[in-house]
Amino acid sequence: MRRSFSLFIVVTVLSLLLAACSTAATLSPAATVAPTTAASNPTSAPVEATKAPEATTAPAASTAIQLPEVDPSTVSGDINAAGSSTVYPLAEVIADNFKKDGFGGNVNLASVGTGGGFERFCKTGETDVANASRAIKGSEKDNCAALNPARTPLEFRVGTDAIAVVVSKSNTFLTNVTLEQLAAIFTTAEKWSDVDPSWPAEPILRFTPGTDSGTFDFFNEFAIQKPLKLEKLDDAKKLALEAKNLQTSEDDNVLVQGVEGSPYAIGYFGFAYYNEQSDKLTALSIGDVTPDFDTAESGTYPLSRPLFIYSDASIMKAKPQVAAYINYFLTNVDDVITDVGYFPASEDALNTAKQTWLDTMK
Amino acid sequence: MASMEISQRMKTDKLTPVILPLLKKKPRVGEKIIQIFLFLSGAISILTTLGIVFELGKESLLFFSSPEVNIFSFFTTTTWQPSIGKFGVLPLVNSTLMTTTFAMLIALPLGLAAAIYLSEYASARARSILKPILEILAGVPTVVYGYFALNFMTPLLRGILGENNVQIYNTLSAGLVMGIMILPLVSSMSEDALSAVPRSLREAAYGLGATRFETAIKIIVPAALSGIIAAFIIGISRAIGETMIVAVAAGSGPAFTFNPLKGAETMTGYIARISGGDLAYDTPDYNSIFAIGLLLFSITLILNIISRRLVAKYREVYE
Repeated sequence: MRRSFSLFIVVTVLSLLLAACSTAATLSPAATVAPTTAASNPTSAPVEATKAPEATTAPAASTAIQLPEVDPSTVSGDINAAGSSTVYPLAEVIADNFKKDGFGGNVNLASVGTGGGFERFCKTGETDVANASRAIKGSEKDNCAALNPARTPLEFRVGTDAIAVVVSKSNTFLTNVTLEQLAAIFTTAEKWSDVDPSWPAEPILRFTPGTDSGTFDFFNEFAIQKPLKLEKLDDAKKLALEAKNLQTSEDDNVLVQGVEGSPYAIGYFGFAYYNEQSDKLTALSIGDVTPDFDTAESGTYPLSRPLFIYSDASIMKAKPQVAAYINYFLTNVDDVITDVGYFPASEDALNTAKQTWLDTMK
Repeated sequence: MASMEISQRMKTDKLTPVILPLLKKKPRVGEKIIQIFLFLSGAISILTTLGIVFELGKESLLFFSSPEVNIFSFFTTTTWQPSIGKFGVLPLVNSTLMTTTFAMLIALPLGLAAAIYLSEYASARARSILKPILEILAGVPTVVYGYFALNFMTPLLRGILGENNVQIYNTLSAGLVMGIMILPLVSSMSEDALSAVPRSLREAAYGLGATRFETAIKIIVPAALSGIIAAFIIGISRAIGETMIVAVAAGSGPAFTFNPLKGAETMTGYIARISGGDLAYDTPDYNSIFAIGLLLFSITLILNIISRRLVAKYREVYE
C-alpha cells in the first residue's frame, strides 16, 4: 500500500516535470509520453500542414475538365497493368481505392520497369495498361502497330517524379551544381575541395535513399551513369555505394535530419517530400535550373521525369472496366500523388489526358 | 468430512498411522494438471529457442552457400555493402562493440554505485522512493530513448565537443543513452545480489570497527560478486541486442571507423533497416540479415556461458 502510494507520488512528480518541459501541460501520466515522441518526430506533423500549397498549384476547379463520374461497382472483369516501378506505388494506391469504391474485379499490377511494361503492352499484347516513367519510344510504337489487332498507344500524363538534391541551410558554399559535379560528389570525391578547389577541404557526408528505392535507381541513372558515361546502371550503383561517409535509409526523415545536421552534408530524395521540408533544407539548382513545379513539369530540371499510363482506344471500348479505371485514375490522382511522393501533373497536362479520354470514349 | 473423521480418530484412539492411508487414497487430478501445465510452460520457451536456432541456421546456411559469399572474407574484410557483393561483417561488429562499450562505461559504474547506495546506505524510506523511479526508467520504450539520443544527447555532445566534430548520427550518443537505459537493469540485479549477503557479515565487519564504506567495498561487494557479474553480463547482452536506439541515433551506413563521433551502423541497426525495406526474398542482402542474426545469437550465447562459469567460480556460500 505504502509502496504503491509512493510510486503514485513519483509518477505524478515526474509527469509534472515532463509537462512543465513540454508546452502542453497535462497532468495525466499517460499523456506525458505523447508530447515527447511527437516533438521528437518533427516531420510527422508538417505533413498535413504543407498539403495546402500543393493544392494551390491546381487552383480553380472551374478550368479543370471534369470526366463523367465513374461508379466502380458498375463494372467488372480484370484489368491487367504492368510497367514502371516508379508508377507502381501510385497505381497500387489508385487500384486499392478503386476496389474500395466497389470494383468487383481484379487489378493485376506488375512492376517490371517501363521497357518491360511496353513489351507486354505492345509486343505480347497481354496487358491493358502500360505504366511508364518516360514517353513511349518510336520502336515501341512500331511494335504496337505490328500487333494483331494493331494498338495505338494513348498517352495519359498522371504526374511528375523529381529528385531534390539538398544541403543544410547552414551550407554557404553550395547553391548550384552541374550534373558532372553531382556525379563526383556522390561517388569518388572524398572532400568538397576534390570537386571544386574553392569549396572547403571538409569530408563530404552523404545521405541517400536505400538500394531498394526507385529514387536511388533514378538518381544513379541520371546523375551518375549518364554524366560519367557508364555502360551499366550497376556500375553507377557500385560507385555510389563505395563512397565514404555514406548513410542510406528508406526513411526520408533520417535523411532530412542527417543533412540538416552539418553544413558539409548533402543528400537527395523525392521532390514532393522536399516541399514539406523547405524550411530546414536548401534544394540545389542543377545546371542553373532551379527545381520547382514548372521546371520539373517541363523536364528542364535534369532530375525529373514524367509519369504516364498508356492504353489503347479499342481496349478501352471493349473493356469498360479499363476505361473506368483510367477515368478513376485521372480524376483522383491529384488526391493521392503527393502522399505517394510525386508531383501532381500540371492542370494543362492533366486536362490533355482527360481530353484524350473524352475523345476516345465519344 | 474426511478431516473431521481424522480429527475424531485422533481424539479417540490417538492412532496416527491411520492418517497416512487416508490421505494417500485421494487421487490428485488437479495436482497432475498443474504439473503438466508448468512443464509445458517451460517447454515452450525451450522449443522456441530451438525453433529460432533452426530457422536462423537454415537461412544463414543459404547465405553462406551462395557463390558470392566467402566465410573467410565475411569475418576479415571491412566493407559491408551486400548489394554490390561486399560482405565484410567487421564494420557492423565493430560499431556494435563500440556502442556496447560506451553503454557499459555508463551502466556498470553507475549501476553498481546505485546498487551499493540502495542496499547499504539508503534508509527504507529513500529506497521505497528510489527503486520505483529506477523501475520506471526501465519501463521507458527504447524508441523513446532513441529519439532522446538523437534530439538531446547528440546536440549536447555537439555543444561540448564542437558542432562540426560530432556528426548528427554517431555511436557515442547512442552508446551513452543505451547505458542510461541499461542502468536500472544492472543496478536492480546488483542490488538483489548485495541484499542477499547475510546480515551477520555486515555486523561482524562493524564489530571489527570497519566503516560503512569499508564494509560495503571490502566485505559486501566481494561476497556478492557472482551476482554482480551476472548482472554485468546480462547488461552487456542487452546492449549488444539493443536495436531501436542504435537504429535511430547511431546512423544507417555501415562504416569501419573507431571514431565514436561518426555515424556507423550496428548489426541490429542493419537488420532493422533491411527488414523494414522491401528487398526481394532470397537475395544475398536479405539472407545476410539471418547470418548477422545468428552471429548476434552466438555472441550472446557465449556471453551467457561465460557468465555461468564466472558465477560458479566466484560464488561464495555462507552457512
